[in-house]
Amino acid sequence: MKRHRSTIIAAGAVLALTSGSALAAPKCGLNNGTKATGQPIKVGAVVGQTGPDDFSASAKAAKAYFTCVNANGGINGRPIEYLIQDDQWNPEVAGLVAAKLVKDEKVVALVASGSFVEMGVNAKLYAAEDVMSMAAACAVSECFESKNIVSTNEGPLPSSVGAAQWAVTKLGSKNVICIGLNIPSVGQYSCGWTEKYMQSKGLSGSSILMDPASADMNSAVLRAVASGADTVLVNLPAGMAAGFLKVAQEQGIRDNFKWISSTPLYDKAIPGILGDHWAGVMHVNIELTPIEGKGPDATNWREVLDKYGTAQDKRDTFSQSGYLSARFFVDAMLKLDPAKIDRKSVSEAIRAIKNEKSDLLCGPYYVGDGDRHMPNHANMMVQIAKDGFKVVGECTGVDSAYLDPIIAQEKRLGIGK
Amino acid sequence: MTNFEISSAKVEATAGLSVRRHVMSAAILGVLILLSAVANGLWLKILTSVAIYTLTAASIALLYRRLGLVSLAQVAMMGIGGWVTLRLAHGTGLPFEMNVLCGGLSAGLVGMVLSYPALRMRGLYLALVTLMAAGGFAVLINVIQFPNGGDGFTGFAVRSVAYMPRPLIAQSDPAYLRYCAGVTALGFLLIRWHETTRPGRAWAMIRRSEACAISAGVNVTLYKVWGLALSGFLAGIAGGLLAGNLQLLDARSFPAGESVLIFALTIVGGAWHWFGAILTAILYRLLPAFLNDIGVNGNAAYIIFGGALIHALMSAPTGLAGQLSDAAMAIRRRLKRGRT
Repeated sequence: MKRHRSTIIAAGAVLALTSGSALAAPKCGLNNGTKATGQPIKVGAVVGQTGPDDFSASAKAAKAYFTCVNANGGINGRPIEYLIQDDQWNPEVAGLVAAKLVKDEKVVALVASGSFVEMGVNAKLYAAEDVMSMAAACAVSECFESKNIVSTNEGPLPSSVGAAQWAVTKLGSKNVICIGLNIPSVGQYSCGWTEKYMQSKGLSGSSILMDPASADMNSAVLRAVASGADTVLVNLPAGMAAGFLKVAQEQGIRDNFKWISSTPLYDKAIPGILGDHWAGVMHVNIELTPIEGKGPDATNWREVLDKYGTAQDKRDTFSQSGYLSARFFVDAMLKLDPAKIDRKSVSEAIRAIKNEKSDLLCGPYYVGDGDRHMPNHANMMVQIAKDGFKVVGECTGVDSAYLDPIIAQEKRLGIGK
Repeated sequence: MTNFEISSAKVEATAGLSVRRHVMSAAILGVLILLSAVANGLWLKILTSVAIYTLTAASIALLYRRLGLVSLAQVAMMGIGGWVTLRLAHGTGLPFEMNVLCGGLSAGLVGMVLSYPALRMRGLYLALVTLMAAGGFAVLINVIQFPNGGDGFTGFAVRSVAYMPRPLIAQSDPAYLRYCAGVTALGFLLIRWHETTRPGRAWAMIRRSEACAISAGVNVTLYKVWGLALSGFLAGIAGGLLAGNLQLLDARSFPAGESVLIFALTIVGGAWHWFGAILTAILYRLLPAFLNDIGVNGNAAYIIFGGALIHALMSAPTGLAGQLSDAAMAIRRRLKRGRT
């Protein structure tokens, strides 16, 4: 009897351990634990990896997810061959690598691209070749004003306006100065619409736009001081934003302003890089939900990266966004006959995506056949704390006239009902 | 051998050289046309870039070879040509050729303005003036931006870019490569025509000695201005073609450093031979793209460029083209000797 009892206890312990490890294992695609061995499906991504900043977190997360999918049955037996190209923040190179992916490699779609240049250069190519780009780290207006590009992240416009909107409501900001990059469809686009938002509320807004190739942080900080603003909106890629804040810290101007930022500063490594100086002071708008989220997608994203990514892969909003673009793409592909997957059927399947839900997003995700796409336009606010981030603002829809055509499109498609 | 025999032998040799030059340029054009039919999407784009920057390199080599002038503003000249081309394309709807021609003429005009200091300076000082001009252009273009279909003088609006139409006969990438190769060939003919007529002779005298040129009745001011205007015109045309390639232009493509780099590569490619410009463009655009394509970071090309420049300055003053030309001549001589 004693022996039986110990056998039962041992079996129970093994079962508990196995089920525990099964719970910790990421879930991807068919999730059947069988390696996909069929004919590969080529999928591409263009990222700005080398240049003023590394903007490749989205594609790295998507790569980890696709590796996980391939180890778990693939797309009904067919693995995804994921081709990532670096545009080096150079428009000419962006054109070259996109031509290689779309025309030579004949990818069926682009997933989780992240760039400051490629979408502007290649939107026409994607439309001409009718290939869909489910981007994840979009920064330029063309991302949100093109028929064949849909991004899971919001881009700098809703993120900047969302930050300003929160600062006006919660911090009583009256005059916001936006620090951005002098890239027409990035800086002027997002800071410009933030100024319009402030004006629509009878308040003041202005911008300082820096040349990305020779960004002079000292000069930008001094100009911000001279602007007469009461709130500084840092609207720069993470590396540059950290540089700007370091200079502001050296100048000792922290207490003269209220501080807000768009999403790029929401990176797990940032509180450590900035130190305690900005804890409790800097408020960051996040385009997706917090990186420490407990929902199924937030948990799965971290587990996928831990198991199939590398320790160096960033754990930030764009990584979440890349994971989510890849998941929505795989879910759409799994509905197709694997023998009939080509660019045409894939583009149709992507356009048919509607009312997808995720705990990583404030609202539903959809694509549709409109001439522009911005499914994600509600965001949250967090505050930099000593050891991470603290949520200070729940999901809120962005208040901007820019979104009028998007809202009209959602009504037509019956989104969110 | 009498003087007459020597000069007639020279004439024959020059005629032979000229025939070889035409055969070779026709062969290069033929190869490009062939490649336009078989190259894939990536290589079509790369070869189009090579064709365009060949014209820019030729404009740099023209100034250096004929007048001994160093211009570090040729990529900025391309920017000026591209800006005017885009502005006219969005604002007037004129045919592509007219827009590019106006772009070239505008850059030529700026070249004439730049030639004012060139009348007084040479060497390092002139190079610095042109570099300052290129830096000034980079700052200016970052402020006004390239036209994207907006209204007003700048033609820029905060909105998604409107793409500039390509020429009617060259809508597709292969056709556009052939078009660019054709325009570059015309540019070479224009340079050749200048070199073999009165301006070429005047430039040759100015390069030897301005005092001699003046004493021989050459209008130094006129021909220096002419040379800089022609060089600016060619670079401006290249800028217009570049605008047509992407159907837009971005201010970040025209930093002053690019003008310095392409000048250095013109020395490496060889300013003294007409096909040196082609080698320059291959180094400037094809090599980094090739490295990228095989998985090596394209920036590694800068290391190669540095090594090649040191090599050119130390042991190959006539550049790669000069070395190739010498090698070809040595082989021909050996073959001739073998026949006799």
